Amino acid sequence: MKKFIPILASVVIVLVSFYVVSTEKNKKHVFNLKQLNQNSVLGNFDRQKSCSKPPQFLAGLKIPQPVLIDLSQKQYKGIAVHYGEGYSKTLNPIEWQKYQYFSSYVLDEVGNIYLVPTPFISIQENTFELQENIYKIDSKTGKLSVFMHLDDVHSSPNNPYGISSIAFDCEDKTLWVGAIDESDYDSQKGVIYHIDPKSKRVMQRIKGLDALSMIVLTTIKGKQLLVGSARDSGLYAFNILAGKLAEKPMKILELPLANEHIRKIKITGKNRLELQSIPFGYNLIAQSEKKYRTFYQATWLKRKRSWKVGLKP
Amino acid sequence: MTKELKVSLLILSIGAIGLVVYWFLPIKQFTMSEKKAALANERIILPNANAEILQLPEILSYQRDVQNILNSGQCVLPLPDNELKGEAKKVQNILLNNLEFLADCKFDNKIVHNDMMRILPAIISVLDPTSQKTCKLNQCYTAEKYNFVTNTTTRAIVDSDDNKMLSVKRFANMQPDISLRLTRIAQAIAINSHEVKSELNSTPTKLDISMANVRGALQESPCENSKHLCVAPTFSDHEKEQALWAVVDLTELKLVAAKWAGLGKTTTPACISERSLQNRLIMEKYCQKETYIKKNKWEMVYRLTGSDGLEIREVSFKGTPILTSAKTVDWHVAYKQKGAANIDTSMDTIIAGRRVEYSVDDNNNYLFGYNDAMGCPMFSTSVVLPFNAPQIEDLLDGSGFSITQDFRNPKWPMACNYRYENRYEFYDDGSFRVLAINKGRGCGDDAIYRPLMRIDMAIAEEENFYENNGEWQLWETEKSKRVTATDNIYPFKITARNNASNGFYIEPNYGQFNDNSRGDNATLFTTRYNEKEGNQDLLTLGSCCDLSRDGVERYTEDKEKISGENIVLWYVPRIQNDAGKGHEYCWADTVVATNGNLEVKVWPCIVGPKFIPISL
Repeated sequence: MKKFIPILASVVIVLVSFYVVSTEKNKKHVFNLKQLNQNSVLGNFDRQKSCSKPPQFLAGLKIPQPVLIDLSQKQYKGIAVHYGEGYSKTLNPIEWQKYQYFSSYVLDEVGNIYLVPTPFISIQENTFELQENIYKIDSKTGKLSVFMHLDDVHSSPNNPYGISSIAFDCEDKTLWVGAIDESDYDSQKGVIYHIDPKSKRVMQRIKGLDALSMIVLTTIKGKQLLVGSARDSGLYAFNILAGKLAEKPMKILELPLANEHIRKIKITGKNRLELQSIPFGYNLIAQSEKKYRTFYQATWLKRKRSWKVGLKP
Repeated sequence: MTKELKVSLLILSIGAIGLVVYWFLPIKQFTMSEKKAALANERIILPNANAEILQLPEILSYQRDVQNILNSGQCVLPLPDNELKGEAKKVQNILLNNLEFLADCKFDNKIVHNDMMRILPAIISVLDPTSQKTCKLNQCYTAEKYNFVTNTTTRAIVDSDDNKMLSVKRFANMQPDISLRLTRIAQAIAINSHEVKSELNSTPTKLDISMANVRGALQESPCENSKHLCVAPTFSDHEKEQALWAVVDLTELKLVAAKWAGLGKTTTPACISERSLQNRLIMEKYCQKETYIKKNKWEMVYRLTGSDGLEIREVSFKGTPILTSAKTVDWHVAYKQKGAANIDTSMDTIIAGRRVEYSVDDNNNYLFGYNDAMGCPMFSTSVVLPFNAPQIEDLLDGSGFSITQDFRNPKWPMACNYRYENRYEFYDDGSFRVLAINKGRGCGDDAIYRPLMRIDMAIAEEENFYENNGEWQLWETEKSKRVTATDNIYPFKITARNNASNGFYIEPNYGQFNDNSRGDNATLFTTRYNEKEGNQDLLTLGSCCDLSRDGVERYTEDKEKISGENIVLWYVPRIQNDAGKGHEYCWADTVVATNGNLEVKVWPCIVGPKFIPISL
């Protein structure tokens, strides 16, 4: 019987080795699926130093800082600037109302305000056309004008949205802009444009993600474009390498409810984001109103290599 | 070397090679087609109303206990003894006599329904520093109650050694983990729902459920836009690697939605909500395709449009074509106010998230309001969204059946939120009625509602339209007429040009249909069929607030010839709402009912003409 011990021992060794290897391999696979997306994309980050400057025309009008830029459309059409004690004074010239409604804005390094449009409740004759432009308020003159018309954006009754999100990249002074007009219920065909504001040239187009919000984030691993999806409750990240967006984004986290969509992203601290969400269905229900908004705080837990997402305290 | 040693070395060598190969073999990933197949299996089921559920013994006993508590002047249904361990019973008694804990017991001066959800020994690490100090020395408990009316969770920390409440916090719009009693009720609702039984092809038992108070504490509820207490009992089918998620609303004690989803391989079923499930089902079943129905000798297809509500098409009776299309394209909503001189129309006004339109007259009066488009919940220009799928029901008097689609603003019945129904009734004698129903509540008690109905008959390629002025008078060209009550029950008829007995009388609603309607007070327009005039989705037709025009006038101004043409009828009722107590109309109100829960009272206004075949 003793003579069979080496054979039995070798069988046991092989079986145990298979068990150990199989466990390790599955762990690695799970890590690939769940963790790699999150950790390898982002890395640690902290509050970002902004290059944005306040518009120069405000000083000319003797409007003191700080000011509040209001796109809520609650009381003022277009864009309004609130200032003074308790933000009780308001600047909202008629000229700022002529392109109807805006959903978000960015300031560049000299104080120009770039705005993206939104359809709001009622469709008027020019509503669809207005969704195809990026708008700009000139820092020096305060004049609102169409900054750029994107020829391949076409909003329609089947999807009244066009250009929907914007971010400014302080490093190379370029704009990232998202449009969702091509999407329908079955397919997501959103386009992210990389635009040089000086030449008004589109430097890159990436198709396939409907961006409702975006922000440029620099982490220890490099530069990312974070995108809140109009399609689902996810927050996605694109690597930006040498000014080029990676083709495929990574989903880095998800809000708890399926019909919540991230419409604003703020970096509020070390490894911490504030995410404002709304229900969004590519229709005209005004769900950007305060009563529909939910504020989440997302914190990257370095040790657990996972995101903690909860309602903002 | 012995033979045995050689064999063992061979085993080790083969094993090592096998291990290396195995390590580098790719793990099977799901392909796109497999993912698509998995998504296709994520079927959604929206249940029909089921009154039998409310007769379940678990629910009857629960409702009786809640009623007894309210009748005795208390507001919290306590936990039964079998859910109270250790000192929890004492803690419950302390809290049920603590005014601070019970401070939110009244709403609108009425006692409202609360349930104690759980009382458990406190986990010290989650306590505030002051409580931590006490609870290191004494035994402490955490207790949670839920207020069903204000959708608020109250959490208290109690020192059971010193019989003292240490802290109390309220979490508005948050729901706690539920009690065992509610867990059992949720299970009973799920198990006894027809839809669940039918999906599972069997009558499930509680043992089949993985359940039910699986909720992250204090998270947003998945149903009724997070305003109700909900849970999702789940039935797993391990063979098919699928699970049926049943979303149960414990505020209204009913099943609100169910969904098949994978067992975690390609899908994340935790991320479901009543709203998103409804949207998906409605988009896929009713917006992207037409549904065919054959019932009581009627045949038709119906679909949800982008902004023109529920449209019925290709309607026939006993095989004879009757209607090409019928739909309600818009609701004009106008409010009348005095003080036109004071209003500033230089910029848009937004009330409750809607752009207000103004119309000013010379008598210092002005009208303001909206145009409400109803339609698909996504990828549309609608502002009033479908709730649930179209419902097909037999009429109560057995005379036929109806198809109804409910549209609501998400916050209805709050002020400035609206609820409309598109409804079509088909009678066994070949007549039919096109209805628009308004269920309030709107922004005020001085509203004028005008639903714009477009009805394209399919009697013949060449049709004639007649008005009854004692004798039938042919309308030669496009025209309109305000419909007033006359001796003629049928003031209009539409017929085939070459066969006057092939057609329909039109019977406007003067309030004779026994549905508490105060009449249509409508204007009827006739236009010659034009593809661009409403055959496709119409965005907005006319002004909400110019009462001298309904919007259809733009199609009749050319006065095109209609006799012997394909005629389209437009019917625009005019309804005045009423909020006066005892005679409410087009109105809704939320009240605290005797059972301590919120109850929505609705006083609908129902308008729309009936079409009666000339030769039955």
